[in-house]
Amino acid sequence: MIELSSSFIITAYIMLIAITIGAIAALLQKDLLRAAFISGAESIALAFFFQALLAPDLGLTQAIVGTVLLPGIIILGVFKTRRTEED
Amino acid sequence: MMESISNLWSIPLLVIIPMLTAIIVNFLYDKAIKPISICSAIIILIISIISPYGYHWFTGHPAFNPDTLLFTFNPNIFGYRLSLEFIFGPLQHIMIVISSLILLFCVTLSTIGLTKRQGPYMALLYLLFMSSVIVIMVNDLYHLWIVVEIGSLIVVGVAAASGTSISHKAALKYAFFSAISGAGLAVSLALILGLTGFANISDAIIYLRQFGIGDMATVLYIAFGFFVLSWMYAGGLAPIHPLKSEVYGASYPHATVLLQVQSKLMLVAIGIIMLRLFSMLPFVKEVMIFLSVITMMIGVIMALIQVDFRWIIAYLIISHSGLVTLGIGLGTQEGLVGGIFQAVNDIIYMTILLLCCEALFYFGGKTSTKEAYGIAKKSPFITTAVILGAIAAAGIPPFNGFQSEIILIQACLKEGLPEIAVLILMVSVTTFIALLRGIYRIFLKPPELQDQDDSNVDLPKVLIIGIIIFIILSIIIGIYPDIVLRFIIPVVKEVLLI
Amino acid sequence: MTEITIQLLGFIAATVLIVVGMGGMLFLDNLIKKVIAFTLLSDGVNLLLVALAYIEGGIVPILLPGMSISEFTSRAALVFPAGIVLTNIVIGVSTTAILVALVIMLYRRYGTLKASVILKGERR
Repeated sequence: MIELSSSFIITAYIMLIAITIGAIAALLQKDLLRAAFISGAESIALAFFFQALLAPDLGLTQAIVGTVLLPGIIILGVFKTRRTEED
Repeated sequence: MMESISNLWSIPLLVIIPMLTAIIVNFLYDKAIKPISICSAIIILIISIISPYGYHWFTGHPAFNPDTLLFTFNPNIFGYRLSLEFIFGPLQHIMIVISSLILLFCVTLSTIGLTKRQGPYMALLYLLFMSSVIVIMVNDLYHLWIVVEIGSLIVVGVAAASGTSISHKAALKYAFFSAISGAGLAVSLALILGLTGFANISDAIIYLRQFGIGDMATVLYIAFGFFVLSWMYAGGLAPIHPLKSEVYGASYPHATVLLQVQSKLMLVAIGIIMLRLFSMLPFVKEVMIFLSVITMMIGVIMALIQVDFRWIIAYLIISHSGLVTLGIGLGTQEGLVGGIFQAVNDIIYMTILLLCCEALFYFGGKTSTKEAYGIAKKSPFITTAVILGAIAAAGIPPFNGFQSEIILIQACLKEGLPEIAVLILMVSVTTFIALLRGIYRIFLKPPELQDQDDSNVDLPKVLIIGIIIFIILSIIIGIYPDIVLRFIIPVVKEVLLI
Repeated sequence: MTEITIQLLGFIAATVLIVVGMGGMLFLDNLIKKVIAFTLLSDGVNLLLVALAYIEGGIVPILLPGMSISEFTSRAALVFPAGIVLTNIVIGVSTTAILVALVIMLYRRYGTLKASVILKGERR
């Protein structure tokens, strides 16, 4: 049996930075479509973080839901309303 | 009504039948919806009346006595249940019977009023009923969190179904706040799970009693804080009452009946769980009494200045939720009995008032005092009914409001809080004033214009029968309160010991 | 200074997500951005719950063949919070769908996505 849990620390650091940047950047966009895409990228970083925290099943679920379902619903909303934020 | 070791047959049926009806009715069209939904409501009513008392476990077992090697329900024997469970006891019996009676009338009324999109709307009403049934039966934190989240989504759906822009805005605000409340409840579930190792509430309480709190008090306070947030959100207490009051005021009146049933049951259920889990911490009851006082005051003051009859009733529902919260917050036996009895009475007389409000829709579709007038001439029956409903809501004998308020006042005086007893009387009087102001303008004032049509409007028979049944129920409970109290008192004794 | 473990990094990331999500939901003006902030809030709570379930030097809670039960229960990370998180993810998807539907209906009525214009109180 291989001791795997401590080798995830590098992953954890990188994904922490990615999550922080992704979360703040997603809310500062003027183009709402781009905001949905960035939130999808941030969900992938979160899925890697779940794997580092010893929950691979949650990583799979978060990867699928956070990249396909949630940005899909938001993009549907953007197409039915308007693409850019008003001033 | 003996308790049994095996899983009770009626608890899954009470959850599955509304869910199945909702799924089936969602896909049907006009003619087939009415018989299926009425049939299902009657089946639920019959099951809830004849059901014995017992438990339903998702894994786990009753407490195992290590000395005699037998399973036992004696709460003083040290034993963990290690399960997620539902309980059907006397409190659940009386609450579910009354809720299913109300469901029967609301479902029949909604088939008459709406013409299109009946299927999904009926499904939402059944899911609303299902969430209120589950929340009163639940005994573990995991199912409690799930039902609070699902219940809030269903409320959003029912509120948005009215189609006006006010209702869409109310639904949007309510849905945004459900994130915060659900997140808080999930975190407090995780904290209690981490502290005690159990998700079952009875097990967690046995653990806390046995090992003492010690330095876990801070973490328990944080969990209590999140619980209070979800309690305020699900029950419509101040200071976040505008979320709930807009939902009540903007939906159809027959939907508001089921909405207020759900919030009263959530208030009682979450309040009892908070009392059981957190009453050993110092400031818990003071926080609950503070919330109840500001809810009573704000609700009844806002009700005085409203123009629309639906909104008067909406704010009065909020104010009377403050009365229930006061009963639970006092923490003594009389207080808890008064609080739960007040919840039952609230459900009944608010149903009378809201059904009369529904009748206003048949007289031209408006409930605002600026637009509806002179109803007394068109229908003296509705006028009498609404005045009787107002008398019941104000707590005047021989109606049922009086019995529960007198228990609450005596509980307050026994605890040494005479100011709050005065506040209860003030709420009672101001309820009457607010309702009578609306009733005078809509029903009793003679119209100035002479060009009103004297055509007779046919009220649906279901509406008339429903109003009469609930007025009779109100009078019976007002004269013989023991009919309801004998279900509540044994539960209260058990709650305050474990 | 406490040692920096993966669990601590998890808590920091969860705090960042919850603060950004809550602040975005309360203070941003555009309704679609409020919905995106809602998803961030729910992600943050999920991360908090999973980080609470982490055990230092533990193994993934999958029972591989050849592993004894006592060794598994003493070393594996906790499983119950994973169940809570799965339920939370499903609830998050449903709530986002309902929110977007309501936003679309409000846009059709008002023609704008600004929350300050739409959610103003009405004179009754």
